[in-house]
Amino acid sequence: MPFISQIHRQADYNFFPSSTPIVVDNGASYFRVGWAGETDPRVIFRNIVQRPRHKATGETVTIVGDHDPALLKYFDCTRSGPRSAFDSNVVYQFEIMEYVLDFAFDRLGANGSQIDHPILMTECVCNPVHSRSKMAELLFETYGVPSVAFGVDAAFSYKYNQQHGVCGKDGLAVCPGFTTTHVIPFIDGEPIYKGCCRTNIGGFHVTDYLKQLLSLKYPHHLNRLTWEKVEDLKMEHCYIAPNYASEARLFQKGTKEAEEKTRCWQLDWTPPPVEEPPSEEEIARKAAIKERQGQRLREMAEAKRSSRINELENELRGLEFLLQQLDQVTEDEIPSFLKETGYVSRQEIESSVTKIMQSLRKAKGEPKSEQFEVEEKTDSSTNEKYPLVNIPDNMLTPEQLKEKRRQLFLKTTSDGRQRAKQKRYEEELERERKNQLDEAKRLENPELYLEQMHVKYKEMSEKVEQRKRLKINGNHSNGNGVSGGVGRGERLNTAQRERMRLLTTAAFDRGKGEDTFGAKDEDWQLYKLMSKDNDDDDEGPDEDEAELARIVSRLQEIDPAFVPKQEVGSSQPASEIPQIRPLTKEDFQILLGVERFRCPEILFHPNLVGIDQAGLDEMAGVSIRRLPFNDDTLVERLTSSILLTGGSCLYPGMAERLEAGVRMIRPCGSPIKVVRALDPVYDAWRGASNYAATFQFPHQTFSRMDYYEKGEDWLREYKFRYTL
Amino acid sequence: MEPEVVKSEMVLPTHLSFKRIQMYEKYPKGQSRGRHWKHLKQILQAENFQSYPLDEPNYVNIESPPSIHPCKRICDITGYEAPYYDPRTKLRYASADIFKLVRSLPNEYVQRYLALRNAAVVLK
Repeated sequence: MPFISQIHRQADYNFFPSSTPIVVDNGASYFRVGWAGETDPRVIFRNIVQRPRHKATGETVTIVGDHDPALLKYFDCTRSGPRSAFDSNVVYQFEIMEYVLDFAFDRLGANGSQIDHPILMTECVCNPVHSRSKMAELLFETYGVPSVAFGVDAAFSYKYNQQHGVCGKDGLAVCPGFTTTHVIPFIDGEPIYKGCCRTNIGGFHVTDYLKQLLSLKYPHHLNRLTWEKVEDLKMEHCYIAPNYASEARLFQKGTKEAEEKTRCWQLDWTPPPVEEPPSEEEIARKAAIKERQGQRLREMAEAKRSSRINELENELRGLEFLLQQLDQVTEDEIPSFLKETGYVSRQEIESSVTKIMQSLRKAKGEPKSEQFEVEEKTDSSTNEKYPLVNIPDNMLTPEQLKEKRRQLFLKTTSDGRQRAKQKRYEEELERERKNQLDEAKRLENPELYLEQMHVKYKEMSEKVEQRKRLKINGNHSNGNGVSGGVGRGERLNTAQRERMRLLTTAAFDRGKGEDTFGAKDEDWQLYKLMSKDNDDDDEGPDEDEAELARIVSRLQEIDPAFVPKQEVGSSQPASEIPQIRPLTKEDFQILLGVERFRCPEILFHPNLVGIDQAGLDEMAGVSIRRLPFNDDTLVERLTSSILLTGGSCLYPGMAERLEAGVRMIRPCGSPIKVVRALDPVYDAWRGASNYAATFQFPHQTFSRMDYYEKGEDWLREYKFRYTL
Repeated sequence: MEPEVVKSEMVLPTHLSFKRIQMYEKYPKGQSRGRHWKHLKQILQAENFQSYPLDEPNYVNIESPPSIHPCKRICDITGYEAPYYDPRTKLRYASADIFKLVRSLPNEYVQRYLALRNAAVVLK
């Protein structure tokens, strides 16, 4: 866990005399508070405030620091995220600051009417007086603090390490923090702010960069990449490369070393349940159900049919009975007799009888054999049927002539039908014969036959495809013809395109010289070409295609492994079709390769994230140059005691890289020593705690009276000595 | 409030005995919303640092100068060294494979990659 909160309420607040100072390390990321003289802060929490709405009661509450995420479910945090009192490294939002201080003193155990202890609080280097005075005002007015002192965290850290012999009294403190990075030179144990320099980059930017990179790389896992989680990843995996370019090249080449350096964060993922193929029983059961359903449908159809047959038979019987009765009725009485039945004449009844008989036959499923017979009969008796056809015209009356024409027409159509039937029959025979031939061949040598069929299929399909392509693209198919552009021309076939061309030339090719159109007869042929009837688009499946279809069906019959090729239109390469594949474990992995050293690299090259300022190593040089005195021995003393402190110096490889960087800007052979603080995170508080415990500390503080008497200008100048 | 929430004491009490002025007195309900705090930029402007002596360190003049080293060019996508630059998307890239990826990126992603190094087109 990166965010360690320590927020138990302390019980011993009242045991401390009012002279014991309270020490506050007010960092942009963490707030630490405790008693002067102790080695560790009592209360630690993230310096953030949330003001969510309590879901049950609807009231807005204040939550300071990090809490168990499980408890946050009772609050509606959608309106406001966590907020900080800091803008860069300066406190500007004193309402939030007040909530933070409330929480801090509350957890420290304060329960009197005011905070009756001096306070030592950290602030940034050269804090603007506005922020400083507002803070003092808040402490004096709201909490009744008797006296206050402000100091710089990096300086406290340096002093603490100096006391422990880690660094000398002359040296450089390099402090990459949460929002900013400082380099402060120390001479005789006192910080020289004149030589100080600040770059606005820090751990916040590193985490943000990592978060952005990962969410761009893994957009599907966006909601897993919370700020807290990414901060966690940063602390666990990030390191500083000794040389960015060569390290990146390792990864680019995909060497084994790079592979080993790649870390993987496996998101929790449960494989989808594997669908087991249905067992034999299952299949049988399903088949049985299907069969039963089919049976029921068949039974229903059967019942319907029989009821219809019944109905029709009844009707028929009724009509026959009616006809019989009609036989006994005299001619005159027929109309009156039929009045009740709804029929008008005997013929009508008879025609309906035949209709019913036909539908009855149909319902019973009998073949229309009689009709065929009738037709057969007509063949033999053509002459009887069309008696007038063979008689010359001049022997006939006008009516008979008309009749003859009708008969002629009827005869030719029926002849045509007969011929078509004959042809069909012959084709059938031919196909049968071919199939038999094929079959014989196959039986003779199955393998050879199969091979031949395949070859034939290939040839035919190519031929057909070629034809289709030609039809679509015209003769000048140039490479990209099949893949197809999207222009209008690509959608038309050759003939249509030609027609379009003619139309456009006819429409726009005017006024150039003399119009000689129509002088020659061939000119008029143009209109024939243009007319729409000219389209021979739907000529139907031609012979080749029919043959191809036959081969395909034949192959499917004899070769179980045969799969006919796709249609021409969908013959694009399979890779272009987005394939839906089942998600695997690898899809739920977040890989950290180059990111591991790319993100902290911004501390050395703020340019990478668009901040146009010097990086850590250059800052050391800038800081030395800014010092008012140019003394080589002093500079050597400074560079031989470079202290790294602050939360963002925890990356492995930081000290080595900084040393190499400083070596680059210093003359050859200069002594350079980079050391890391004993505890880069807590040393600032510890240094402040030690400082506040000394008996001279009260002289460095200022009281409420001082503040109001001396005014803002004095506060601007306010600076205390770190060496007591 | 739920018992576990009360037990964890995560909610800051509205009344604290050690305060002289309580939160609800200082920022009465309804008025607090209109309250504006000067941002750092405004603070620095109001401070009017230009009028101070140059040799006195202050928040503005302790800032680092721009780097004197040439800007490191790394591939926006992969982080490798980037010898190439795509004039259409303005992204830097390391190799032909990444160029393919760069060209297939939707504009939104291109802008987000550019925003990483503060080079995105900002519409105002």
